[in-house]
Amino acid sequence: MYTLVLLNGGSGRRMGAPQPKQFIKVNGIPILVYSLVAADAVPEIDQIVLNYPEGWRDDVAALVHDYAIRTRVDLVPAGETRQASVAAALDVCTNDDVVLHEAARPLVRSADFARLIAAPGRNVSYMAPLTFTVAPVDPATHTVTGYLDRDRLRNVQLPQKFSLADLKKGHEFAAGQDVVFTEDATLLAAAGLAVHFVDGADTNIKVTTPTDIHLAVSLLHGQADDE
Amino acid sequence: MSDRRGTVLVTGGSRGIGLATAERFARRDDVEQVVLVARDSPAFDAAIAHLTEVASPSVKVWPYRLDLADRAGVLDLVDLVHATHGNVDVLVNNAGYTKPEPVHQIDFAEFERTMAVNLYAPFSVIQGLLHAGNRFSLVVNIASTAGLHGRSGWLTYSASKAAVINMSEVLREELAIFGTRVVCISPGRTATDLRRTLAPEEDPSTIMQPEDVAAVIEMLSTDVGRFVDSANLVVRQ
Repeated sequence: MYTLVLLNGGSGRRMGAPQPKQFIKVNGIPILVYSLVAADAVPEIDQIVLNYPEGWRDDVAALVHDYAIRTRVDLVPAGETRQASVAAALDVCTNDDVVLHEAARPLVRSADFARLIAAPGRNVSYMAPLTFTVAPVDPATHTVTGYLDRDRLRNVQLPQKFSLADLKKGHEFAAGQDVVFTEDATLLAAAGLAVHFVDGADTNIKVTTPTDIHLAVSLLHGQADDE
Repeated sequence: MSDRRGTVLVTGGSRGIGLATAERFARRDDVEQVVLVARDSPAFDAAIAHLTEVASPSVKVWPYRLDLADRAGVLDLVDLVHATHGNVDVLVNNAGYTKPEPVHQIDFAEFERTMAVNLYAPFSVIQGLLHAGNRFSLVVNIASTAGLHGRSGWLTYSASKAAVINMSEVLREELAIFGTRVVCISPGRTATDLRRTLAPEEDPSTIMQPEDVAAVIEMLSTDVGRFVDSANLVVRQ
């Protein structure tokens, strides 16, 4: 069985909204609800560890209650950084295997969780091929410093799955580094642990700006362009 | 894939469209329970006796007696139904009430009762079951063509049914994340007791029958019904 660590602690500064971004509504429904409902229908997930931004515990708990989420949900406070939030959630996990997801990706479906869980290996991430070119730069001088082969790069997506032991090892390693990691597949790889990937869908967008909300609503509605 | 339809809940099941719908489902071999809610009346007793007689051997008919204007009673009943019968797969919100009067003569208490039965009760049944963790396969809300265009003398009824149509549009989108289909049906003139209240001078044999509407409702729960993508389905003769 799996524990879903659902990252939900961001402040939403880029959204420009007065409340944390997990209360932003996509098609009239709080963005957090999409991931909760999708995970709730996955039989292999029997625990959800859900973090919350400081001061918003009751609001998050109310959503879990109102949407009658049947899976056990444990609420933990978010950390100062994403990396700290993941590390704090790991102490509450009751299973040896963990699925990581973030509430800011509302287009995840139950089938996405199921396909990830069924994928070979214990440390696996959804990743999408790049459809654009990424340039290494020196931001201080606004200078392009070289070339990156995009065939050897991937857009890191969530959900991801990891063995709990490897995640803990990875975070012990990361705690001793000067770098703050922004996601866990590369964190584990940097710690020398094997991580694989499966191709993710380009519809699994991360909603971080008002434009993203419009795009997400459009994707939700239109799974089809009618003739 | 077919919709799940093991347990079917029909409100206003003592006569008319509700009874005809309940009978359609009760005769099916793939239905296990038909739960009926209606006010206590000799008609309801007769309906239960009839349904029990014609039901498929696999179907158990469960009557619950309640005035759907009683919101506290509705919420208690919803909890009881979910605890007793498990997940409600198909919900048909059919119960209706009207006392047609022109605006100068409307008793506000009657307006409140109309809204309570026609709008708040379906809302409360749906919300109560959702809060209990229910996952609907199909929700059918019965509105009316009177909800599409207001009719002189039918202010309270037309307003309540317009609200049902609009509520159904919202529910259709909000419940999509659960895989629930929500369809609103707006029957035209149908030979029911409610229609007799609205148009007492009309010969009921000349208009659409409750069984016709019930056939459409049953169709929505079948394989072919999944291809009906409409928030408000007008059914008229």
